[in-house]
Amino acid sequence: MTVTFSTPTLETERLILRAPALTDFDVLADFYASPRAEFVGGPQSRELSWRNLALEAGHWVLRGFGRWTLVEKTTQNPVGIVGLWHPEGFPENELGWDLFDGATGKGYATEAAIAARHYAYDTLGWTTLTSLIAIGNDGSRRVAERLGATYDSDFTHERFGPMQLWRHPGPEALT
Amino acid sequence: MTGITDHIPTLETERLVLRAPSRADFPAFAAYCASPRATFSWGQIGADRAWAEFAAAIGSWSLMGFGAWSIEDRATGTYCGEILLQHPAHFPEPELGWTLMEESEGKGIAYEAAVAARDWFTANHGDKSLVSYITPGNTRSEALATRLGATHDPDAPLPDGETANETAVYRHRRAA
Repeated sequence: MTVTFSTPTLETERLILRAPALTDFDVLADFYASPRAEFVGGPQSRELSWRNLALEAGHWVLRGFGRWTLVEKTTQNPVGIVGLWHPEGFPENELGWDLFDGATGKGYATEAAIAARHYAYDTLGWTTLTSLIAIGNDGSRRVAERLGATYDSDFTHERFGPMQLWRHPGPEALT
Repeated sequence: MTGITDHIPTLETERLVLRAPSRADFPAFAAYCASPRATFSWGQIGADRAWAEFAAAIGSWSLMGFGAWSIEDRATGTYCGEILLQHPAHFPEPELGWTLMEESEGKGIAYEAAVAARDWFTANHGDKSLVSYITPGNTRSEALATRLGATHDPDAPLPDGETANETAVYRHRRAA
């Protein structure tokens, strides 16, 4: 007997959203070791980067949803991680995005987040969705604004500290 | 919809079922992580870190094709702990590890689960070596490794950043 679990693949104009994989490790470790990881608990060691990658995969099994690795169609390179997130200690289901070095400024976070949000509403049947944004993470806040999300409330995370909870438009507002 | 499908096998032993971990197992696992019993593994950690470790050990299945099982008592359905095959980037080779709830101690449960996990690994990943990393002074784990037929390998490479004062390598024997 086995337990089988599946991670769907999504596609947007410029990106493939696929399950996190072993081949993502080096670029993910570079991201977590870089200053770009300051709002997600970084900079972090290779040991913790591995834990984070395995956690991305395990989240799908435990919750039935999770985050995808974004693959740039033109280069086949992994350029970020975006998707649906609810680890222990988060107040609600979250839509989250992390872009790797060199992938910012192209609208990839927004493009992938729109696809992930459609999946949450249309396939999973969710009725609301939030994003946690660290104080001072202006790039992430701008993505939230582009997605039509608005400030909801303050939240303090056990490790990440003070954050803002932003709320996305519900499924009825997007149709 | 296309995608990727992974499998977690279920193993049965005389008294135990080794099965995919589930959310229902997490409260007991988190309580263990917050207790002094976690001193030899992660140190005492909060629920946020515990969930990350719990989920990562499951995610290993999709990354590596091996990972964690929850140990369940066949007769009572009780969650007894976790048996784990892992090979994170900072380990030189794959590791067999165990986490046992206090009330499941002293019954040979970890031994029975470890034999099943080790033999499954040999059957399915027999081209790879297998060790257990044990903190010197963790006498229960040292005794279990010895009972499994593993022997201390003082020449084996250690996980990145660790010293022989912190970690001893026990090498598991190849199944016949």
